[in-house]
Amino acid sequence: MPQSPHPAGKFPVTSGAGIEIKETYGPDDIADFDPARDLGKPGEFPFTRGPYQGMYRERVWTRRFQVGFGSPRESNERIKYLVDNGANGFVITIDLPTSYGFDSDDPIAQGEVGVTGVAISTLEDMEVLYDGFSPDALSYALSIRPPVSAVTLAMLAAVAEKKGVAFDKVIGTQQNDPFYQMSGGPLQTITQFFPLEGTLRLCADNIEFISTRMPRLNWMVTNGYNLRETGVNAIQDGAFTLGHAFNVFQMAQERGLDVNIFARRASFFLSASIDFFEEIAKFRAMRRIYAHTMKDIFGATNPECWRMRFSVQSAGNTLTTQQPEVNIVRAGVEALAAALGGAQSIHLCSYDEGHGLPTEASSRIALRTQQVVAYETGITRTVDPLAGSYFIENLTTQMEQAIRAKLAEIDALGGMFAAIRRGWLEEEINQARYQYQRDIDSGRRPLVGVNIFQVPQSEELPVAIHKIRADEWGAARGEYLRQWRQQRDHGKWSEAMAHIERAWRAGENMVPVLTHAVKNGVTMGECHKAMRAAQNWTIGGGGTL
Amino acid sequence: MGKHHRILLAKMGLDCHDTGIVIIAQLLRDHGYEVIYLGLHNSAEAVVRAALQENVDAVGISFLSGQHMTQMRLLMEALSRHQLDLPVLCGGVVPRDDADALAKLGVAEVFFPGTLGPDLIERVGRVLERQDHAA
Repeated sequence: MPQSPHPAGKFPVTSGAGIEIKETYGPDDIADFDPARDLGKPGEFPFTRGPYQGMYRERVWTRRFQVGFGSPRESNERIKYLVDNGANGFVITIDLPTSYGFDSDDPIAQGEVGVTGVAISTLEDMEVLYDGFSPDALSYALSIRPPVSAVTLAMLAAVAEKKGVAFDKVIGTQQNDPFYQMSGGPLQTITQFFPLEGTLRLCADNIEFISTRMPRLNWMVTNGYNLRETGVNAIQDGAFTLGHAFNVFQMAQERGLDVNIFARRASFFLSASIDFFEEIAKFRAMRRIYAHTMKDIFGATNPECWRMRFSVQSAGNTLTTQQPEVNIVRAGVEALAAALGGAQSIHLCSYDEGHGLPTEASSRIALRTQQVVAYETGITRTVDPLAGSYFIENLTTQMEQAIRAKLAEIDALGGMFAAIRRGWLEEEINQARYQYQRDIDSGRRPLVGVNIFQVPQSEELPVAIHKIRADEWGAARGEYLRQWRQQRDHGKWSEAMAHIERAWRAGENMVPVLTHAVKNGVTMGECHKAMRAAQNWTIGGGGTL
Repeated sequence: MGKHHRILLAKMGLDCHDTGIVIIAQLLRDHGYEVIYLGLHNSAEAVVRAALQENVDAVGISFLSGQHMTQMRLLMEALSRHQLDLPVLCGGVVPRDDADALAKLGVAEVFFPGTLGPDLIERVGRVLERQDHAA
């Protein structure tokens, strides 16, 4: 294995996505560049320089802190502690049973309760998460996709009602991406436990409810992050993410919703990977394509609908298990790329994620890393400091052209939904991720500590491990739900269950229906059971779970 | 290499991170193995049933989200219920501290993140060679 993979004169001269990079750039490389047309001012069309005029000078990006483990009570206590320590926004991660619409006491949940996030089965669980906080004051980003996001949105509405908060004051984010919540590409992820048509219908129900009733709530149109994590390159990332978003918008328009209203609160979740300039160019190019498409293709006349806003997480797939402390540096570089690319919110991966789920200590280091970028480096002082650079503008334009070419390919397939259904996306992903590994094996993609500059296992520093108490959490939640089912008003519960089935068949917007249901004791798992029944659909037989 | 080997790969539980296992499947195929990949969300019973039906030489399971101890215990129990003696390989985001516990369960090899392709092929080959000799 090479210790120095690139002997003198043999450094790779292409970017991660294969764009050829020249030795130097000069005026000729931006000969066609028109600052007024291609850049505009920050906060103005085509938003290349950022979605807002003052950007970080006025308000530093949100330092999101990811929380969620065990029971809602434990998670709420942790959030209270973090609020006292200056965190100002939270991504609430959900455990896997909840993510698929199962209660904590479902047999399928064995060994999974509270492990990857918090378990939410009842309205009371959501109330406990908001204990001490009001949904018009504290922003939670719920990392959840439909069908489950229709139920969590219903629970949020019920919490707001109970706390006397008007719907139009509620803040936060409901991730509402029908396809990419789950990491990886397989369609099986989203078709195993709920029919795809039903998932898309609930996605549109959520968009309709949020845009007409909760106008301050963000809804996430596309989780490009999980897509990128599979190993696709920056060009594919940009094209698949935007292609998917545009397809969701088409669906909303077909529902009769006004693009000038529903697109206002659309947002994205993107990855910042390690190829520094390419990532910055990707963010700038995506904003430009989005602005043009929203204006020219969707016909949006409200400038708020032209600006693309996104939160960023550093790339988990750039982390190494070997010499894990080096990951802190990688996350720092990725945070810089996100900030120079104009992100609205940043979350950095913890350095120990190759070993297990992050600990409190490693999460704190991740937060501190981006606080150094935000408060010490001075990069927040001026907006889009790289604008006008021969290299950056050339690369931004090249990224834009490459992403547009890929988008045209997707259009020719009938749009992103069609491309996913026919397996085209999965094929693209499988090729890309296999190539990614081969590049690491061959040393073409240098990875410090893995294919260059390794140390023997004996010299690796010890890593503290997040202790999983799945059996304990599962048992406690099982007992809680047993009591919940015993104590609720059975008459009201069964009426609410029947109402779900009727309303589904009648084609009603399900969010108010589910709000009524959760207020009458119906659990997360039962909401899904009733919705599956209304579609005459059962979870696949055979030997799968 | 001698004998032509068949390997069953699967994901268990609700975890859907399949990048690692899909790459491994292709890597093994490229090195002459016949791979049967069962996809996501398999129960222990389903894995064992497929292993019997397909008459495989080894089983490989990949994890990312912390289910490895629970699911590997269920799988090893199911294998012994069916009196099926096969080398079981485990890979993914598994804390090194758990490697001993997995070995005690009877897991033949644990592949941590960052394992390079050639290393993995060599170790899988050794496991199967041992199995061939034992048989």
